Amino acid sequence: MQTKRNTKETGNVLLCVLATILIVSIIGATVLRNSTTRLNASSTQVRAWKEALSAAETGGDIGFAELRKQISSDSTVRATQWSTTAGWTNSETTHVSQVTTFGSDNLKARTVVEACYFDTSGVFHLGANPDPNANSWYRLRSKGTVPIVGLKRTGMDDALIKDGRAHFAPIGSTAMQDITARGNGDSLLRKIDFQYDHFVATYGRNWDDPLSTRNDPAAVGSTPLISRRIEQIVAAVTPFFDAAIKVSSSFYGLGSAAWIDSYDSRNGPYDPTVKTNPASPYYKDSRHGSVEINSGTATIMGTIYGDVGTNGGNVTKKTANVTGTIDNNVPFTLEDYQMPSVTGWNYQSSLTAVTGNQTLTPPAAGTSVAPIYYLVSSWSGALTVNPVTIMTGTPPVSVPQDTYVAIHVTSDISGGNAGITVNPKVHVKIYFDRNMSVKNNNLINQNPSLTNPIAGNLQFYGISPPRDANGNPMWTQTIDLNSGTPAILAATFYAPSADVHENGNPDFIGTMVAKSFYSNGNISWHYDRALNDEGGLLDFRIVSYVEDTR
Amino acid sequence: MRLGIPAKIHAFTLIEMMVAIATASAILGVTLTSSIALQRSFNALDNYFATHMQQIRIVDFLARDVRRGLSVTSSFDQQTVTINIPKYIIQAVDSDATGSNIGTPRSPTRTYVSVPGGITGTPDINYGTPTSSISVVQYKVSGSSILRTEDGIVTTIASSTDNLIPKTIDTELANTEYTTTSITFKPISVADRNGTIVYSTAYLRNRRRPPTP
Repeated sequence: MQTKRNTKETGNVLLCVLATILIVSIIGATVLRNSTTRLNASSTQVRAWKEALSAAETGGDIGFAELRKQISSDSTVRATQWSTTAGWTNSETTHVSQVTTFGSDNLKARTVVEACYFDTSGVFHLGANPDPNANSWYRLRSKGTVPIVGLKRTGMDDALIKDGRAHFAPIGSTAMQDITARGNGDSLLRKIDFQYDHFVATYGRNWDDPLSTRNDPAAVGSTPLISRRIEQIVAAVTPFFDAAIKVSSSFYGLGSAAWIDSYDSRNGPYDPTVKTNPASPYYKDSRHGSVEINSGTATIMGTIYGDVGTNGGNVTKKTANVTGTIDNNVPFTLEDYQMPSVTGWNYQSSLTAVTGNQTLTPPAAGTSVAPIYYLVSSWSGALTVNPVTIMTGTPPVSVPQDTYVAIHVTSDISGGNAGITVNPKVHVKIYFDRNMSVKNNNLINQNPSLTNPIAGNLQFYGISPPRDANGNPMWTQTIDLNSGTPAILAATFYAPSADVHENGNPDFIGTMVAKSFYSNGNISWHYDRALNDEGGLLDFRIVSYVEDTR
Repeated sequence: MRLGIPAKIHAFTLIEMMVAIATASAILGVTLTSSIALQRSFNALDNYFATHMQQIRIVDFLARDVRRGLSVTSSFDQQTVTINIPKYIIQAVDSDATGSNIGTPRSPTRTYVSVPGGITGTPDINYGTPTSSISVVQYKVSGSSILRTEDGIVTTIASSTDNLIPKTIDTELANTEYTTTSITFKPISVADRNGTIVYSTAYLRNRRRPPTP
């Protein structure tokens, strides 16, 4: 007789094996789940958040590069600024770029460029600068977006629910001041839009798209996104910047009874009492009559209501009469100045030489970027420039218009009668290749009046001499401003290669940028702070950066 | 007839039982020990990565504030970082807050300042009111936590990292400034915190200003 085999014993083995597999699988699944969560947070969300900033700053770079097309010497480059074929949408002084997609992670960048300016109180305004002599500033608002591939999961440390606190609040609500209103942990830092663009849904589209041409939907679609936004303020770099006199070489001046101070012509005419009257609301504008010297040779005479800076120098003479600070570690460079491109300027052949007394009335008003342009081969006489007028009103009256004139002089400007009279509403820029030797009282600026002239309406630019094979200038450029009374000389001089001698003692309004400067006259010199935004546009620079972390 | 008892159903001998029990105990012991070790290892690894994520969060918080900051300073004991940032968003407690503008960005204002060793008449772009244009953000080690305080509102941004070592480098002459930060934590598995350090370097995007609130 054979005994039946007990099958229960083999069943136990199978059960044990299955149980072991189950336990090991559970352990493995738990590890995988945690690993996936970590990977999702660290590799995907952190990466996307960082890349979103790169994308936003790329948008800023795109806008900045588009702005700089304005100063290109290549007319074809300038012509493509804000081109609609390149995807720009334009409305007056607002420009919205197309969405640029780049990188292996499909980063998206878009920027909004808006012209702006600051008034005399420093208050921000959108739109072009109403000062016809001034350059605009720009506000760049850029948005960078990165899609988050993978799982739709929040971070590991989020506490969006069941913590007894409000995480969402309507716009305008006082709850919005609470920074926990947007969550805790990673959610407070990295705001992931899983279903809706929280920024658009909460604050609207105006930040991203002031022209309402894109109409981004609040819903983000099937792929979560991370967006970051930055705001940059871009300033125009101009030849003159809060310095009455700026030289790259030696400085001597002025006379022992002279003074240099400053004012802001946008606040009204110059008032000599302000600089010693702290109660005046414009007192702070009177202490920017600074002198900047990029050498160690600085002999200070008279009184300077501002700062003095040298490059390793030892300021001598009346240093006690400097109301601001003397800093002997302020190096800077003055690059050679080249004739700007005249492409796009409205050339007129009606004036080729200035001899005797001549009057010039341009055929059109021109603009600051496309002035009426004349090429003059000799200048020994007196030129009077009138504005363009139009007939308007009932009965019709002649109304002068802001008229922009550029004159390129390929020879010296010299002679006992050599000079210019700039009548109201006329904005003149004179570019000269050689030397200048004129009497102070032959440079007559009547904008808006002879007794209250604005320096920005008469600007002189000394073109730097070409350099030889050794890098030396092929000739020496000089500016001699000779004695002549009465003289209120209101003008700006930007001639980084010129040696300047002021031989008289005029009431000077404006600024001087040169290679060297000498004067021993008892001049009252007033820097006009309105010039900070004026003059030929040299470049742009970013002066402010802020991230909108909402 | 007497049937013989099959050998298969004989009971174990004492020796067999002892061997079996010893073997089973050893297997159970190894399994238990392995499970515990595995569990501890998993916990340690989980804690390590979770804390590492907090390190990254601290670094990201710091880098974000430094980039938009106007100045960064660190305390002598290198356990506190103070950053002045533009007051870009209007808060309910601000003097210029109205019912409708809370939570919206401000327009900037411009002032000109003289910078020692720099360009005179440098424009400062400010956000905020004339009397309050800066938000003060402070990162501070508190026990094993790191707290971020912005205008008095405290947020715990990490709870198991306990060593913040910032080094703020002032290179004003180069017209820039950057801060390097290293953060460590003590893993639960070993006492040594070496190997947990995370470094970060962030540059100010704005021109540095004197760090006065």
